[in-house]
Amino acid sequence: MYELTVAYRHILRNPKMSLFTVAAVTLAVAVIVVLMGLTSGFEEDVIATTVENNPHIVVHPKEDEKYISLYRTVSGILWSYPGVIAVSARLTGKAAAKHKDEVAGVEFVGIEPADEERLMNVQEDAVYGSFFDLRTRRYAAFLGTRLASDLKLHPEDDFLLVLGNKSIKLKVAGVLEAGSAVDKTRVYLPRRTAQDLLGKGDVVSEVAVKVADIYKARDITADLRRLFGYETKSWEETNADVLELIQTQSFYTMIFYVLIFAIAGFGIANTMIMIITRRTREIGILMAMGATRGSILKVFVIESLILAPPAALIGSILAYLTAWAIMSYDIQLPSEVYIVSRMTVSMKPEFFVYAVLFALAVNFVAGLYPAWRASRMDPVEAIGSA
Amino acid sequence: MHEVTLGMNGTTEDIIVLRDLSKVYKDGVEVLALDRINLDIAAGEFVAIVGPSGSGKSTLLNMVGLLDTPTSGQILLKGIDVSRASPNERARLRNKELGFVFQYHHLIPEFTALENVMMPMLIAGKKESEARVRARELLVSVGLGERMDNRPNQLSGGQSQRVAVARALVNGPSIVIGDELTGNLDTKSSQLIYDLLRDLNKRINQTFILVTHDMVLAEKTDRIIRIVDGRIVCEMRRQGDEFVASEKCDLGEDGGEIRRD
Repeated sequence: MYELTVAYRHILRNPKMSLFTVAAVTLAVAVIVVLMGLTSGFEEDVIATTVENNPHIVVHPKEDEKYISLYRTVSGILWSYPGVIAVSARLTGKAAAKHKDEVAGVEFVGIEPADEERLMNVQEDAVYGSFFDLRTRRYAAFLGTRLASDLKLHPEDDFLLVLGNKSIKLKVAGVLEAGSAVDKTRVYLPRRTAQDLLGKGDVVSEVAVKVADIYKARDITADLRRLFGYETKSWEETNADVLELIQTQSFYTMIFYVLIFAIAGFGIANTMIMIITRRTREIGILMAMGATRGSILKVFVIESLILAPPAALIGSILAYLTAWAIMSYDIQLPSEVYIVSRMTVSMKPEFFVYAVLFALAVNFVAGLYPAWRASRMDPVEAIGSA
Repeated sequence: MHEVTLGMNGTTEDIIVLRDLSKVYKDGVEVLALDRINLDIAAGEFVAIVGPSGSGKSTLLNMVGLLDTPTSGQILLKGIDVSRASPNERARLRNKELGFVFQYHHLIPEFTALENVMMPMLIAGKKESEARVRARELLVSVGLGERMDNRPNQLSGGQSQRVAVARALVNGPSIVIGDELTGNLDTKSSQLIYDLLRDLNKRINQTFILVTHDMVLAEKTDRIIRIVDGRIVCEMRRQGDEFVASEKCDLGEDGGEIRRD
């Protein structure tokens, strides 16, 4: 098999050209994997953030009613469903928060800290303070970080929560960073305090539920709707717009993927065509010495079989390191715009498989074509063409 | 491929016989590069093909070397018609029966002198060890025993051309053809190459067909074929120290040095 000898010598004695081939495949693989990872990481993050930051089922008041007064009974019924892991009766509303000269519109949520903690893992997002303090401190509140900085509030500062002509003075017991839009509007306070502010007695505006399996939420919701007159919504219904956005997004993602593959593919094809065109004369010489067309093709096939796999491997490693670097740099995104607050790269094994298979195929075809063309020439033509 | 009856001039000793060989290039304009060429070359002949540039002498050489295909006519190699052979069959014949030396040596730059010489044997499917031994011998015999592991860019033009000669000979071909093989060399190197070829011609009865426009080199061969506009216009054979032109020779072209027989 002299073809192997020729291929092997050619690679070793043309380190520059070999490096170019390897670099083309390496870059293509890395680019494909990282960009696919970024796109799908964003998508997954949007879903995860949506599911995590929102209850899976919310029971709203009956039609024509503004509040739920039998919320303790409702909670009890909810708890009776298998798979329910948290139930929190909340009194929510819009109000204004005032500190010195700063005023901001807020969305207040009156809660029982233990219930809400089980529902939303609030403590996990706390930058400062203990969420359970709201159980014992009646006039205390937890605020989103951005809201706190907008109001120039520091821990243990006092501020006013104003609703209509009523107001209460609250102390900043803690600050939260959820990484989403709520950081700018959310105020948590004890449920009783919120009820005092509202002045409608022992009522709540919603009962929020979390279930173990988010895809069961829809069934439970339907069941509740059938049994009671309460407005009940699953997370899919509440976040229909976000899910629709993802649907639309995935169409653009497809276009994006096609472009990534096309660009990476052209990179490889250009390099291969350039390299092999430079070797047309050599092909002619080999053919003058009696190499058949089949042998010429074999030489190039062997070369790409030798060079492409290590290139694919290096590309995969490069992609992995790039993804790791992006993740560890913790690139912040404005969460109001992107829903998620940081860039995530989702490294799925299939991305590596797609990228490697694609790069190998393009490398192969792009290398084969000019070699095939050269092998169809008469040797004199090939020798003369260089 | 099949055996054919040899023409009236063809003898079994003729290694290559061309019958009414024509080549038309259709690259936009039709160019008649070879016009019904008839030529017999016997084993052991040392032939020069001369003529002005564009006369078709290189085309003729490429036909004989099976590097290019004729538009019409026949090429008989050792009595076998190869003019319609498949690309693979032509490749096999080039490897076994023909050796090439080009004007610009055309060694493969990535390979050492030794590897370049070995290549036709490797293409033929011979063992690497066997090829190595034979290539070494040939390089020693062309005076490059010390240069075997040098790559073409570490060799002078004359040295490269000697490597190319060794490469052309490595498979023991019936014919070695050379296209302006000294065209790029100084007088001293040219003389060295010529002496080498002449020695091989005498020693192993190697057939050589050389295209050249160097009349000094041509006059050192045994037979000069002059081509103008795709036709053989003159044929001269050595008799002792002089050349004797055949009856069809157009004397006006070649001056008074040649006598009609």
